Amino acid sequence: MRQPLPLTQKRLTGGLLLILAALFLLSLFIGSNPISLFQAMRDALLDTPSVIAMILTEIRLPRTLIAVVTGATLGLCGAAMQGLLRNPLASPGLIGSASGAALGAVCMLYFGLSSTLPMALPAGGVIGALAATLLVYLLAGRDAGTLTLILAGVAINAMALALIALLLNLAPSPYAVREIVLWMMGSIANHSMADFQIMLPGILLGWFLLMGTGRSLDALTLGEETATTMGFSLPLLRWRIFIAIALAVGSAISITGSIGFIGLVVPHLLRPLVNHQPSRLLLASAIGGAILLLAADICVRLFPAGTDIKVGVLTSLVGAPFFLYLIIKSRRYQL
Amino acid sequence: MHRSLFITLLLLIFPLCSQSADQPSRVVSISLCTDQLLLLLADPSQIASISYLALEPNSSFMAQQAAHHPVNHAKAEELLTLKPDLILASEYSDRALVSLVQKLGLLVERFPLPSSIQGIQENISRMARLLGQEERGQQLIQQMKQRLEQIAQQQPAVRPKALFYQPNGYTSGENTLQNTALQLAGWRNLAAELGIQGYRAIDIEALLLAEPEQLFTSPYAPGSQSRAQQQLLHPALKRVTAGREMIEIDYKQWICGGPMIADAVEQLHQSLPP
Repeated sequence: MRQPLPLTQKRLTGGLLLILAALFLLSLFIGSNPISLFQAMRDALLDTPSVIAMILTEIRLPRTLIAVVTGATLGLCGAAMQGLLRNPLASPGLIGSASGAALGAVCMLYFGLSSTLPMALPAGGVIGALAATLLVYLLAGRDAGTLTLILAGVAINAMALALIALLLNLAPSPYAVREIVLWMMGSIANHSMADFQIMLPGILLGWFLLMGTGRSLDALTLGEETATTMGFSLPLLRWRIFIAIALAVGSAISITGSIGFIGLVVPHLLRPLVNHQPSRLLLASAIGGAILLLAADICVRLFPAGTDIKVGVLTSLVGAPFFLYLIIKSRRYQL
Repeated sequence: MHRSLFITLLLLIFPLCSQSADQPSRVVSISLCTDQLLLLLADPSQIASISYLALEPNSSFMAQQAAHHPVNHAKAEELLTLKPDLILASEYSDRALVSLVQKLGLLVERFPLPSSIQGIQENISRMARLLGQEERGQQLIQQMKQRLEQIAQQQPAVRPKALFYQPNGYTSGENTLQNTALQLAGWRNLAAELGIQGYRAIDIEALLLAEPEQLFTSPYAPGSQSRAQQQLLHPALKRVTAGREMIEIDYKQWICGGPMIADAVEQLHQSLPP
């Protein structure tokens, strides 16, 4: 099989950023009603902004920003997890972080705490994500094989989803039950700038913690012992990455609901382009994740108005066949 | 002379007799909308049971009066043991249940959910006739018409643009009670003007582009939280109406069509900008 040539880091990052910028602009253009973007941008600077300026700054911009940071978070965390666990199937969605985050957010939102204390929502997501990730890790054991880890993830995912369904059935709001699908599939529609501001602190903190892990992850590709002799503390690295993932994924999912498969697919697509080097994969996966989620959300908006298709439906439709392909591929290696 | 006196006497007595003979004495209602009309029109002694929804203070206009009556949960066995001589149901009551109790020989009357004043009047007079309370029915209709007439005489020169906005972005277009009430109170209903029929979700961008001057909502479960309900807190909604808060109209005034629609119309009328 011919491998695509590894690109230099600068070229790859530049190219990905260019695609992201184009999609960002496109995303501002696409909504249920055509508006003049140029006029809207000019109006947005006025003291009393017009309606089209409001549509731009209060509807489309927050939606685009949330898609970008959520996608970036999922891509980045997927790459970090695959690097840490040296497992091609590790990702926030499969290891339980995402459904744990959704469970934590559901606890906070439907039982009234987040209405008095807005930051309770991402806090719930972070705690849920951390608890679920640690549970899977403990269940599978430290040197778990691919299969064991996935099975532990399946168990914790099923548990979290069942608890979400139960809680939403018990919630006082009559609208809660219908929102089960929102938490399972994820949606970026109808959010405001306030939601973006709520999710941002945890996400930035998580990104910051992950930023410096590249070199340790590189060392880890040589094996745990080698990495230890090179002076990297594995327990410290493990905790750092788990906490960072909980912070970033928990905050993002508490606003969007769990969006599947981005964390799994993106690192795999980009790995050949960065010469299989985890440290270079982190940044590339973050931008790649943002591109993928933003593109999916743009597609969702192209459906005729009134058809409320969740963005997670689309990412799963693309991601699930890819997951199957990975399983088949890893089986071939084991034989 | 004697004969005419006799006939007059007969005419005087006969309706009294026939009325008391025709009046159902064990009426059971299984839907909120018929509960309310029943409580408004019947003698308390005629009511055998009302649905449990009638007690719910957010949706039932007659919750206080309902507290004195036994409630049912619209289950077939329950209805049989109540031995009703008339069961009142709404158009949307469980069809299987209604046909089951009809097969078992019980009399069921189904009421449509009206979206106009005409429809409300028809429901009231039909209910009054069934209960043998025609006079009370007429009174109720007259009172409602008078209150609406008063508001009809104080219409604003320019009707401001309004929109009804509910969790998940639902709005009330043509053929809804909210549309009727908004128009009667002196507002334009943007949802109807956008061609929306009945209850449907409106996209938030379309809402902003229509530039409503006032948004109305009817909280169905105040105090509870969900993503659907959070949608009403979107800051763009307040900005598009120049900072005016969404006005809440109690759901119990129009969850079912009834004479309480006059309350809603009066409240909508009072919220017209000066």
